Amino acid sequence: MSCSPFDLRDYFLKELPDADQRQVEAHVRTCQGCREELERLRITEAALFALREEEIPQRIAFVSDKIFEPSGWQRWWGAFWGSAARLGFASAAMLSVAIVVYAVRPVGQGRAVPATPPVVQTLSEAQIDSRVDAAVTKAVAVVEARQQAQTQKLMADLESTRRRLLVAASEYEYYQKRTNAFRVTASNYSLPPSPAQGDGK
Amino acid sequence: MIFRAVEDADLIRQAARGKVEAYNLLVSRWEKRVYNYLLRITGNREDALDLAQDVFLKAYQNLRKLDDPARFAPWLYRIAHNEAYSMFRKRRPEADVEEIEPESTEGGITVGGSSVFPMELSLAVASALGRLTPDQREAVVLKIYQGFKFEEMAEILACPVSTIKSRLYTALELLKIELAPVKSRGVS
Repeated sequence: MSCSPFDLRDYFLKELPDADQRQVEAHVRTCQGCREELERLRITEAALFALREEEIPQRIAFVSDKIFEPSGWQRWWGAFWGSAARLGFASAAMLSVAIVVYAVRPVGQGRAVPATPPVVQTLSEAQIDSRVDAAVTKAVAVVEARQQAQTQKLMADLESTRRRLLVAASEYEYYQKRTNAFRVTASNYSLPPSPAQGDGK
Repeated sequence: MIFRAVEDADLIRQAARGKVEAYNLLVSRWEKRVYNYLLRITGNREDALDLAQDVFLKAYQNLRKLDDPARFAPWLYRIAHNEAYSMFRKRRPEADVEEIEPESTEGGITVGGSSVFPMELSLAVASALGRLTPDQREAVVLKIYQGFKFEEMAEILACPVSTIKSRLYTALELLKIELAPVKSRGVS
């Protein structure tokens, strides 16, 4: 039985904390029995190391085969579900978002508004047909009204253009008549002889 | 101290992203240790090599599940331990795994009739290891030959540190009785 303050085998195998290791060292220096026990352990270890490590008879290596390799997405997905840390982080993030959303969402007068239950109606085929007809009629009426309004606008534009053309025609006729009158008046007056004609006499 | 331009953790991260070249480099760093661990708990070179290949394939397939690259070594050895014991169960399904012994003779661990460790002290060591229970032998291999801490051994073997220490210290007592006199006589 060892009288060492700590297990001599733990000391020998370097499994003690530094402070404990130093205590055993100090004890071994003064204890013949523990020194001899430690020596037997060292001899045993040295004997065990007579078995040398062997070289591996055949090197191990892998080749890349794209067919069997997972895609980047599959690797990410596999890593995500295979990692407790990533799953934990994702769960914590989702929980945080949920808490923030719950905290900042508007609440009317501090009271929760009861949700309106959805009304489930059962309609007969005739009711469905009548509703479809009504919807179609309404849609057709809207389209017709829109087309009629466009037609009226076009007619109004056309009428306005016609009137402008009539005014322009009457103005043109008026100015034509005045031009003719000027020509008639001018032909009634004879022009006086030019000075050049007088010198030639 | 060996300087490594690329740390194991970087290789693990690259391999997890599907870079086979990075994984091959990682395998080249660990294959000898894993092979020798498997050789010492199975006592058979062919089994050790087959198991080592299975171990590294399984590790590659599950590399994305390794959260902390710093825990790669115990994680890898845990796979190796499971693969070895799975093989033991397949070969002797009716036997309790605790009773399964590696192939051994009085002269030591053998492969195909020839001794794996021919020298006299090596034979004595192999013989002494062969007399341990599989659990005790594995504890010695992981601690003495592979240099794992107790916590890492507990992770590899999935049992408490107290159990690990119990197995290891019992084994050391038995080995001490058998090997210390041989070594003291200067046989090597």
